[in-house]
Amino acid sequence: MAAVNPTANAQGTREVVVETLREEASTWLFVAKTLIAFFATGWLAMRFDLPAPSTAMLTTIIVANRQSGMVLAKSFYRGIGTVAGATAAVGIVAAFPQQRDLFLLALSLWIGICAGGATLYRNFKSYAFVLGGYTAAIVAIPVIENPPGVFDSAVARLSEVLLGLLVSGMVNDVVFPSRMRDVLRRAARDQFAHFLGFVRGATGGSIPREAMENAHLRFVRDAVTLEDLRSSVIFEDAEARARSNHMRLFNQRFMAASTSFQSLHHLVNRLKRAKRDLAASTLIRLYAPIGDALDMPIEAGTGARLLLPRLAAARDTMRGNVATLRATLADTQDIRDFDTGASLLLRFVDELHAYVDAAASLQAPRVLGGSAEKVRFDRGNDWLGAGIATFRTTLTMLVLGLFWIDSAWPLGSSAMLLATVFAGLFATTPNPTRVTWVVMLGYLSGMAAGFICEFFLLTQVDGYGLLVFAVAPFLAIGLVMMMSRKLAFYGLGWAMGFAYILALKNVQVYDPAHFINDAIAQVVGLGAAAVSFVVIPPAIGSAWLRRRQLARLRGQVALAAEAPLPGLRHRFESVNHDLVSQVVAQTQPGSADSRALIAWALAVHETGRALIEMRHDMARRDVPPTLSPYLQAALHTLARFYEKPDAHGYQLARDAVATAIASVGEHAGQAHLLEHLHLVRMALLDGESVLAAYMPSAPLAKEITHAP
Amino acid sequence: MPREIALGDALVPGLLVMFVLALLALWLLDWVAGRVGLYRLVWHPPLFRLAVFVCVFGAFALFLN
Repeated sequence: MAAVNPTANAQGTREVVVETLREEASTWLFVAKTLIAFFATGWLAMRFDLPAPSTAMLTTIIVANRQSGMVLAKSFYRGIGTVAGATAAVGIVAAFPQQRDLFLLALSLWIGICAGGATLYRNFKSYAFVLGGYTAAIVAIPVIENPPGVFDSAVARLSEVLLGLLVSGMVNDVVFPSRMRDVLRRAARDQFAHFLGFVRGATGGSIPREAMENAHLRFVRDAVTLEDLRSSVIFEDAEARARSNHMRLFNQRFMAASTSFQSLHHLVNRLKRAKRDLAASTLIRLYAPIGDALDMPIEAGTGARLLLPRLAAARDTMRGNVATLRATLADTQDIRDFDTGASLLLRFVDELHAYVDAAASLQAPRVLGGSAEKVRFDRGNDWLGAGIATFRTTLTMLVLGLFWIDSAWPLGSSAMLLATVFAGLFATTPNPTRVTWVVMLGYLSGMAAGFICEFFLLTQVDGYGLLVFAVAPFLAIGLVMMMSRKLAFYGLGWAMGFAYILALKNVQVYDPAHFINDAIAQVVGLGAAAVSFVVIPPAIGSAWLRRRQLARLRGQVALAAEAPLPGLRHRFESVNHDLVSQVVAQTQPGSADSRALIAWALAVHETGRALIEMRHDMARRDVPPTLSPYLQAALHTLARFYEKPDAHGYQLARDAVATAIASVGEHAGQAHLLEHLHLVRMALLDGESVLAAYMPSAPLAKEITHAP
Repeated sequence: MPREIALGDALVPGLLVMFVLALLALWLLDWVAGRVGLYRLVWHPPLFRLAVFVCVFGAFALFLN
């Protein structure tokens, strides 16, 4: 490139132009694809003589997305939701054909439940719920005067929505697809390179707490992003689907290794702070072989396989070094800390080896059938938040329905329908009040454009080809806006308002009075959705939900201490990661809330993992009956303290752990339990951690104390 | 191809039923192809998949009558 453009200036300009064009090209590609899907759907729907082609066309706009894999994943879940919604509509109409009040109540409840279900998921499964509500409304409301027609209505709507989904899925998949698979591959590579790079960089010794917190955040984000991508990509790519379990295993091992790694560094940091440099530096010396083993270019894939023998060799070296390094220490306390650190370090090397192994096998050209262990990524869902969304939506629907019945408003159904769509669609956004108002503005202007298009242009043209030319420019404006970051929601409102009010069908009806009445009804419906978000604010992003999520996070320690052991490690790690990433997504980085969260997350991670490992050790070897009550007491008090942290609970937990350590010391052959207990005790006594606020002598002034 | 199919005495467009069946068949073929690694031999997998779908759908419509 430099040979073509000798001056640096020209090259800079060229880069800017290329960059701009690339960005513009992706915008216009999106517009073109969406327009193709929109008009192909409309044409097919008219050919098939479906009663409302506009429903099919509107669906293509709701599904529109830049990423192909997203469209397919969305379409799949939307298909499920549509079928469920149509079935529910038939059931509701069949149950209350004569009772309009009960009918509206049942319909409102169904729509509310769907809106609530949508808040439970952070990937496209939530769309299945949105569509379930929306389809039930569009099937049932138009036939309210004519219940026997519900089945025909259900079949027609189902055909229309599925047609829209299929055509847009097809267009996005075939025409210049942009693949999620590549994004997933890049994310996995980045995660691998970043983590191993961080481990290599950390061999020098202590890492400042801030860097540790940032690294933790990044690890958590990486893990959750990978899981989200995986769950979408499996719809796009059959091979990715075949490797899906490997991918999960890779992610689980990443979470396990990163937690052990952090515990290790907290231990080193604490030792340094306590001026116990000898123990700390001995541990760092023990750690050195890992740094040497990783001292090569890191890349996932073939590179990962080269790392495996090196890591295995490092592990053997470290095993051999433990005894010699231990002999250099004289102080019993140093030896105790060294033992704790060494066992943690060996655990970490094992987990790192397993992680690299998973990364290497991901690159294998052939999928090894059934070799991957079955693992799940558990989510930390908040049922109360979903309950609020259900209540809000049901209430909105009921109020609108009552108004409709009492005022005998001919177009009340339009209002109800729009309210359903938007109450469901935006229940999951962090700031739905603002978003709904912006969408409403866009919707209004889209309808104005629709008026011009319908009564000044469409009346002049004849045939589908000319219709495309008349409609496309108006729609394109909205689609371009959807792609810009600032106007995205305005554009969405524009495109939806425009497509919906045009109500294209085989024999187009030109009736300005009806057009305006319908427009007013739709705006009322949208407004009702917007008002409902003001009256009953969404739980997402509120301080209340954050407090609940923090409590849930702390409750994870109780889970680690008391839940049944099989599969507990994965369950603990994945729920932790999901909860942390939820709160991180909803808080400002660096705010008091976010810092309190990370502080708690670190404490919970460390203590929880140590407790799980200890319980595994307890289950593996027999614990003498004289010892077991003390260990159980330590587990129990720790669980209670984390569930409800206060100074009293802190003292109880600290004393219980100390008693357990003392009684382990009295029993021969139980030294392996000691390492875990020491780790828990050191985490409890850490003056820099979030627990410092509960220590008897510590001042209670830090802002962190307000967080729980 | 029957224009309408009676499902429990309710008349459903035959095309829709065929379509859903073809979709299921495609899902199965896609899964097999992914397991075997067939898509590595294909230039444009989505286009290939679309073509297979057209074949399956067309075959269903032609032969099931």
